[in-house]
Amino acid sequence: MRLALIINRFDPQTDNQPYDREYTVDWEQHETVLDLLLKTRREDPSLAFRRSCRSSICGSCAMVIADRSRLACHTLVREVAGDGGSLTIKPLPGFRQLKDLVVEMDPFFDALKRVLPWVIIVPQHNGLVSPEDSERIEPPATCILCGVCDAEVRQSGSVTPAALVKTVRLAVDPRDALGTERMKITGLTEEGLQTFRELLASVCPKGIKLPPVTLE
Amino acid sequence: MIVHDMVIVGGGLTGLMAAVQAPPGADVAIISKVYPTRSHSGAAQGGFNAAIGEDDSVEDHLFDTVKGGDYLGDQDAIEVLCSEGPDVIRQLEQMGVPWSRTPDGRPAQRALGGAGFPRACYAADISGHVVLHTLYERALAAGVRIYPEWRLVELLVEDDALAGLLVYDLATGRLEVVRCRVALLATGGYGRIFRKTTNAHANTGDGTAIAYRAGAVLSDMEFVQFHPTTLYGTNILISEAARGEGGYLFNADGERFMARYAPQKMELAPRDVVSRSIFQEIKEGRGLGDGYVNLDLTHLGADKITRQLPQVNELALLYAAVDPTQTPIPIEPAQHYSMGGIRVNLDCETNIPGLLAAGETANVSVHGANRLGGNSLLETVVFGRRAGKHLVKAADRPSPPPRSSLELALARWQAIFCTGKPPQPGDDSTSAIRDAMSRTMTDKVGVFRTGEELREAVEEIAALRRRYRALRVPPGEHPFNYELIEHLELGCLLELSEVTAGAAYRRTESRGAHYRMDYPRRDDANWLHHTLVRRGGDGPVYEAGPVSITRFQPQKRGY
Repeated sequence: MRLALIINRFDPQTDNQPYDREYTVDWEQHETVLDLLLKTRREDPSLAFRRSCRSSICGSCAMVIADRSRLACHTLVREVAGDGGSLTIKPLPGFRQLKDLVVEMDPFFDALKRVLPWVIIVPQHNGLVSPEDSERIEPPATCILCGVCDAEVRQSGSVTPAALVKTVRLAVDPRDALGTERMKITGLTEEGLQTFRELLASVCPKGIKLPPVTLE
Repeated sequence: MIVHDMVIVGGGLTGLMAAVQAPPGADVAIISKVYPTRSHSGAAQGGFNAAIGEDDSVEDHLFDTVKGGDYLGDQDAIEVLCSEGPDVIRQLEQMGVPWSRTPDGRPAQRALGGAGFPRACYAADISGHVVLHTLYERALAAGVRIYPEWRLVELLVEDDALAGLLVYDLATGRLEVVRCRVALLATGGYGRIFRKTTNAHANTGDGTAIAYRAGAVLSDMEFVQFHPTTLYGTNILISEAARGEGGYLFNADGERFMARYAPQKMELAPRDVVSRSIFQEIKEGRGLGDGYVNLDLTHLGADKITRQLPQVNELALLYAAVDPTQTPIPIEPAQHYSMGGIRVNLDCETNIPGLLAAGETANVSVHGANRLGGNSLLETVVFGRRAGKHLVKAADRPSPPPRSSLELALARWQAIFCTGKPPQPGDDSTSAIRDAMSRTMTDKVGVFRTGEELREAVEEIAALRRRYRALRVPPGEHPFNYELIEHLELGCLLELSEVTAGAAYRRTESRGAHYRMDYPRRDDANWLHHTLVRRGGDGPVYEAGPVSITRFQPQKRGY
């Protein structure tokens, strides 16, 4: 099968504005959008996009595919190729386009740093964690920091979406000295948190379902 | 020019673990060609071996590792690995790693291949991921300076000692000189020399190849691990945890064929044994389709699969359109791990003063001729920690200023760019050479090797290197110039392909993952030694290096 891949391109050294460039690529049933991008780069080595693991764990290849932010390696072509045989790819919204599909990630990681994103260990903690607590920590600890939630979710609180996921992951960890105190800095109401929980589950490539957490 | 006391190249498990060892206020920086959380350590699924179980012992872990490596591993290094394991797991616990837990709250452990005990501490099947992110958190807490998307270009060596690094900043497209007192290479493996590999696109062995060019000794490059269970076609990893949790392997006749090859350990024999067995079944006509076998998890039940193996479940559903709770997963072996690397001592020192290496980049050698599942993650944190501590000690030395080494490096840099017209369609290309290289390596330097095919591989790689030297890339300081990056990476891959094929051709015996059909037996009389290789003027120069044998004399290896 063949489709028209329309990629938003921008080279800060030569272009005043981003523009769309169309490529024609062959594809097969099992292929991902990342496979198409890799084929395209063979034909046009100047095309810039990030990629590494190709198995939905490194979080490098977040971009807008068919009007939604997703991971290219986590998206099968057959699920997004329109009837007209074309597919549009753009950089992640809300992030500055640096070149083609490469966006600025530093503000994303800086926002994460603001929530003290590490376990502040309770002094002399014995290292025991119940399986129930462990199961609550696991879903938010699955986060790969890809940026899709920051691009897709506009939420009411004072921390960015991925930083909120990290905050919840730490707040439910019994080894953390701050624990649920951490939720105060989010500025969220129960309702706001529930709305975020639902939005996150619908956009997150890892399908993260946030566990219940007390807002104090 | 950028100046730091200590520079770590690579932000995966080894690099991050090393970085967080520095005392408060220490001047340590990480240079990584990807953001640290993108590192391939995060794709590791199974777990971290450590003898923390009440019925387990360091002694047993040591023996399993020595035997698993077919007696080529250095037993003094394996002793360090196994005896420091329990303490490093406790340290990771205090850092906040979210392990899966036993009912009484301790880190849960599962069985992986070649182990006599359920020894791998895990977090579902995202063990590497959770520890990578925890160590990244610790690095942020410690204020480690991180240079993301900076790629090492050359090591600057003056009078045989490290003087600094030449690095390329992807975002600006500019070269920078980084001066340091001591540097650690933690750049991971080089699986991308093979067409069929579980490794990420980034795993191009940059640190290993660049150190080799700078005069570092590599060792045991012929020992390449092929993981038995990768998704047929895409070679995406399906964790050994799938067999550790009870998965079976079946051939086309519905037989659990491992009974023929490893009647005691069955599916949990070491990876070299299982991979050979799968290919033997396929060769003898008992494979399915165009050449795969089935990994069957259906009898484990949906609850266990989604709880213990959520990623395996997701990967099979997405990339193979198979629901593992209902249908067996089609799998084939593919390159997974590089046992060889930069030769280092127990303090992670290379033969170049001021240059350290650890993790998959290095060869210390704890894995010998075949690595056991769960031991590479352990190696990253045990030797990452040792390297980090030794960096601090080694940083008291002044380093020589880079002079002639920098001039030479800059001249080599200029020489890769075209001065006339840019490459035209139809010209030779990075991707054409890379395809040919990776096909040669998979076809001729794979699980079953012969002298004739290895010789052909050596010649083919040499021809590809000549083609590579004639390639030129467009000049200019472009941001995110992946064309240039892929060109540089291919140079590293070719360098490592040459020594992998060359070392495999030289070793006329079968040991661990290196299986020669023309020399099917282990030959301790002639080959119980490491293969050391240096880069000479006319190509690789090989020699033998002694193996440390302290407690376990070589015995017949059966499972």
